[in-house]
Amino acid sequence: MSEYLIEARHLVRMFGSRRQRVTAVDDVSFGIREGEVVCLVGESGCGKTTTGKMITGLIKPTSGQVLYAGKPVWTARGDKGEDFKTYRLGVQIIHQDPYASLNPSHTIYQILSTPLLHHKFVANTYEALNRVVELLNIVGLSPVEDFLYKYPHQLSGGQRQRVSVARALTVNPRVIVADEAVSMVDVSIRVGLLNMMADLKHELGVTYLFITHDLAVAKFFAWEGHIAVMYVGSIVEFASTPQLINDPRHPYSKALLAAVPEADPELTRSKQRVELRSQDIPSLLALPSGCRFHPRCPYFEPGLCDVQRPALVPLDEHRYVACHIAAREAGVAS
Amino acid sequence: MTDISRANTPLTVEDLWVEYQIERGVVKAVRGVSFELARGESLALIGESGCGKTTLGVALIRLLVQAARITRGEITYWRGNQGLDVLSLKEKELRRFRWRECAMVFQSALNAFNPVLRIWDQILDTAKAHGNMPRQQVRERAMQLLEYVQLDPERVIDAYPHQLSGGMRQRVLLAMSLLLDPQVLILDEPTTALDILTQRTIIDLLRRLKEQIGFAMLFISHDLATAAELADRVATMYAGSIVEIGPVDDIFYRPAHPYTLGLIRAVPTVTGDFEALVSIPGAPPDLVDPPPGCKFHPRCPYVTERCRAEEPKLEAHYSETHHVACFNVRRVQEDTLDLQERYAKYIRRKVQ
Repeated sequence: MSEYLIEARHLVRMFGSRRQRVTAVDDVSFGIREGEVVCLVGESGCGKTTTGKMITGLIKPTSGQVLYAGKPVWTARGDKGEDFKTYRLGVQIIHQDPYASLNPSHTIYQILSTPLLHHKFVANTYEALNRVVELLNIVGLSPVEDFLYKYPHQLSGGQRQRVSVARALTVNPRVIVADEAVSMVDVSIRVGLLNMMADLKHELGVTYLFITHDLAVAKFFAWEGHIAVMYVGSIVEFASTPQLINDPRHPYSKALLAAVPEADPELTRSKQRVELRSQDIPSLLALPSGCRFHPRCPYFEPGLCDVQRPALVPLDEHRYVACHIAAREAGVAS
Repeated sequence: MTDISRANTPLTVEDLWVEYQIERGVVKAVRGVSFELARGESLALIGESGCGKTTLGVALIRLLVQAARITRGEITYWRGNQGLDVLSLKEKELRRFRWRECAMVFQSALNAFNPVLRIWDQILDTAKAHGNMPRQQVRERAMQLLEYVQLDPERVIDAYPHQLSGGMRQRVLLAMSLLLDPQVLILDEPTTALDILTQRTIIDLLRRLKEQIGFAMLFISHDLATAAELADRVATMYAGSIVEIGPVDDIFYRPAHPYTLGLIRAVPTVTGDFEALVSIPGAPPDLVDPPPGCKFHPRCPYVTERCRAEEPKLEAHYSETHHVACFNVRRVQEDTLDLQERYAKYIRRKVQ
């Protein structure tokens, strides 16, 4: 029995034809315990969303395995495993764009009652209505009458995203994958949405894989959990959130944290910068040898970093880093 | 504010009103906005979507859509003591004025380019539309500007837009906007949709360009962090009006408007310990049928009877440079003691 509710083991996902292939996700492993939060952060194209979709079962891994409640999701031949339906109900995703993810021709009631009735969580439409009212209250859309028979276009972005959360909750999931769920929502609304999602964690015990490019949001949402920093398809650092925010070890994490502008003029002016050697993110079609970050890394050591690819090794109980230099400083073999 | 030296103020806006005609009625998108922009200064316009930031920006170069009308106000660009009244310009004069006096960089760097033309052709088109600089001179200027924005001119100038990354496109746009040496640069969400490291490059670049070239910069952003980084002054917009304007440190450490304070309390910083965040309840008002009195009163924790009946005017507060439109400044202030304390700590550390 695995200690994790949901686990990624050596996930690899390639896209493209035989002639031209890119590896969008390259050997990603991590696990999330029940009721915990793991945040995936990284820049666009680093494989965050692909990883999230593999965790949700929307994309089949090229190789590697997803485990839900300790059981493999895919069979050895790559077919759907026997508990596939339980898994699919148990892991729900909230997409980034609340304008695209809700059917524009259905009312909020229809959007929320369909999965309830389809999966027989309720016996009839009367029960469905009751449950929909309950769900709308949970996500803070009240008074409920104002929303039940509205169409998505009549709601604001923040309200739509709340409907998306309610829809994910219809099937009583144990894991929610939130893919940039707040990035398209206005600042003043964002915090309300984040707080509501955090409440679900406490009240319903929901486990989160939270995907974001915004480190400030990651810090706020996953303070008691972990952050995994991804770069060009791999996790380069995995650590508890306070550790990662206050004492990043991988040069890429350091660069990211140093580069983030802060909503505090004095703080942002006095921040120590990390100068990268190059501004270009490598193309997935022509990945650098050795460590993928070496052409940009300020700590680059020729003959080591460009030759040997560092493995993700534990520095201590709560922190894993894929960097020769950081490992050496900590006295660990990379 | 009549007695200012025009020589150092390339742009003044006086009581500007913009309306959109829609089926439901009239949207009052910009309501009585006045401000001025000094040479070498950057002013950030912050606020949530739908507060009129972009409409204001677009109105400044008179590029509004057909349904919009400027109903009142004055927009003047100054060269020396020579004022250019933008609202009286004819279409032909407008074309000359845009880009030469004032260039605007739009939000989406991808959509700003023609996808079937090389960068060079787009630069040349711009130059041709605004005068007859010889081709060779345009080329040289373009190469110089591309280098200025830290791009490899040889590689970029003959590329198609899709061959460039988002950050590169944003930099090309910046270079193009500087082609005719405008005095005022308007940037609409210059770093939104860019990755953290790319965003950093653009921010540093903008700061350097501003220092070296000395144009005035108005940038529109919903991101407080970018404003904290880049702005000398910040203006908070709500429901079409500027509700607070002042030096960046005043706005962030002594905000006097409840909406500004709300925004600051809603944004997490990355560095430092965990802080609880507070969201602003409710949603921005419907600008067809805005609430009476102060437009923020339905969402405001400091609301009084007076706020419901009367709209506060922008008035000086602390200093001549910090203006705020709120009746309850004193009570708001009492709730900013932690911010003021934080600021004092920074200053003490600096002095040591």
